[in-house]
Amino acid sequence: MSSKTLSIHPPEGVPISFALASIGARFGGQLIDILLTYGGLILFFWLMIFTGIWDWSFLAALFFLLSFLVRTPYYIFSELVWNGRTLGKRITKTRVISADGKRLSAYQIVVRNLMKEVEVFMPIVVLFGGDLIGSESKAFMTFWMIAVLCVPLFSKRNQRLGDMIAGTLVVDQPATVLLPDLAVQNPSDRVDFTFTPEQLGVYGRFELQTLEQILREPPHTQEATDRLDAVARTIAEKIGFEGQVPPSDHWDFLSDFYRQQREFLESRHLFGDTRENKFHAGKSEKPTPKARSDSDHRP
Amino acid sequence: MTPEHDIPADLIRSSRFRAEREENWKKLDELVSRAEKSGVQSLGYGNTMALASLYRQAMSSLSLARAISMDKALETYLAALCARAYLVVYAPQESIRGVTSRFLSRRIPQAVRRSWFPILLGFFMMIFGAVVAHILYRQDPSWFFTFVPGGLADGRTPEASVDYLRSTLFDDGDQNHEHLAVFSTFLFSHNTQIAILIFALGVFGALPSFVLTFYNGLVLGAFVTMFADAGLGFEAFGWLSIHGVTEISAIAIACGGGARLGLAVLEPGSCSRSEALYRAGRDAVTLIILAGLMLIAAAMIEGFLRQLVQDTMWRLIVGWGIGALWLAWFLLGGREDATGGLNADQESAGT
Repeated sequence: MSSKTLSIHPPEGVPISFALASIGARFGGQLIDILLTYGGLILFFWLMIFTGIWDWSFLAALFFLLSFLVRTPYYIFSELVWNGRTLGKRITKTRVISADGKRLSAYQIVVRNLMKEVEVFMPIVVLFGGDLIGSESKAFMTFWMIAVLCVPLFSKRNQRLGDMIAGTLVVDQPATVLLPDLAVQNPSDRVDFTFTPEQLGVYGRFELQTLEQILREPPHTQEATDRLDAVARTIAEKIGFEGQVPPSDHWDFLSDFYRQQREFLESRHLFGDTRENKFHAGKSEKPTPKARSDSDHRP
Repeated sequence: MTPEHDIPADLIRSSRFRAEREENWKKLDELVSRAEKSGVQSLGYGNTMALASLYRQAMSSLSLARAISMDKALETYLAALCARAYLVVYAPQESIRGVTSRFLSRRIPQAVRRSWFPILLGFFMMIFGAVVAHILYRQDPSWFFTFVPGGLADGRTPEASVDYLRSTLFDDGDQNHEHLAVFSTFLFSHNTQIAILIFALGVFGALPSFVLTFYNGLVLGAFVTMFADAGLGFEAFGWLSIHGVTEISAIAIACGGGARLGLAVLEPGSCSRSEALYRAGRDAVTLIILAGLMLIAAAMIEGFLRQLVQDTMWRLIVGWGIGALWLAWFLLGGREDATGGLNADQESAGT
């Protein structure tokens, strides 16, 4: 599944975005939870029976109590204590958040997990739990289970029924990696390239950030070096750079261009002239095949 | 704009912005990581205060970075950092104990009192079903097989001998003991499924809840009449009462909860249907949880108490006594609210 993002408005008023958890991650999380809880339960009882401390009737009563607790109560308690994360969600690095930007309330947690009983457990128990009911209601249950499993696939925000009723979403736990600022790195022992405002005005934010992605990884293979050279040549040609750029200086050329163009674009932006991409000058200007080629070099 | 490319130390504006604040972001990142791993409680007073103010600073940095910086990496980092910090700062604050005690002392009795009519209707449907089954059974005992699923009957059919039927009511041997515990487990999961089904289907106009409750009444009526015909009516009544008072009430409450949902859909009043459903949902969810608790209690009684108490008279006293306790809880619990207590919760959306 492609990752969808959605924006949440916290009380601070600055929208922040979360990536919705993929269907696979959610299914995996649920599977891990079921395996952990029921696996733990079975292991526990296997040990109990093996050691033979308690008699059967007590064990049977304990088993039914614990097998009740590992269902809805386990999910409610773990999501309350770990802030919207069960063990399975911790492993798949997903979590539950409230869709309205407020804090997740106990009510929401209870509702979404009670619905899990209807959505997940009851069909499983009915389908695999012996012949309690007639075949027509079994057919109905099969249909129900398939329908319910399909709900997150078709819902806009990958919500299952319980999520919709409780107003919750399952998102990926955001990972924070602070990459170095490319505009700061500047080893002194090299040639500097200077660009004129006209040259800097050719591209916009999109191309700048594409270049940023290219500059994040210095080329190690021959193939990557060739690609870098192609990018540098395309840019030099497009902006009409006059000086000669030897292939050994391509990296420096691009770094310098990135830094100066960022400064240029940021200051234009502050003056109200935001340039989203290279078509900023005239909307009628058609992209030439050559101009398009540099965006093809996105890694 | 003067080009500053030749002075490495002299940073461009957005780099300066980042350099000035980076340290605080890293501090926030570290605090958030600690809070994620072992809870905000582990941070201590000073760090928790710092977390809140660093969070606000980071939020304002994010807002500013979006306005002035074109450094994609910076914005991605800040957005993720703010998202993580937001989740820590706006974590659910209720403690388990607080939630549980508030729920038991106020929400449950209040929800039951607010839904007294659908619950009563649920009881009525159950009794009505039992009466219908009774009349039909008297006409033709083979109705029994129509009403009672095979697994549930467990050999207790109209053809069974009186001795066998008596032996199912009074537990006298160890070999039976083991069997009963398993059977009560089975009954519990069966009952929970029924309660959940009754509840969940209620949303389709309340009628399915009542029909299913009626059907449960049929099963009940058929059973009791069968025992009565075998001359074991009083004993069966005692056997049923000890856990049945709780169990049947649980089914009726689940029915009431489902009916609340259905009634909200049918008759939303002055608000929209989804709004009405959301409001009724709070009480309805409370009721289904209550039904679940009562079913656990019923299963406990069934599994342990019924084997300890073999005398029918005592079974009646215990069963109806427990019933009276439930009723007292629902009628008397959570009353101090009416006099304007110290509840600051916004949950009293009902009434």
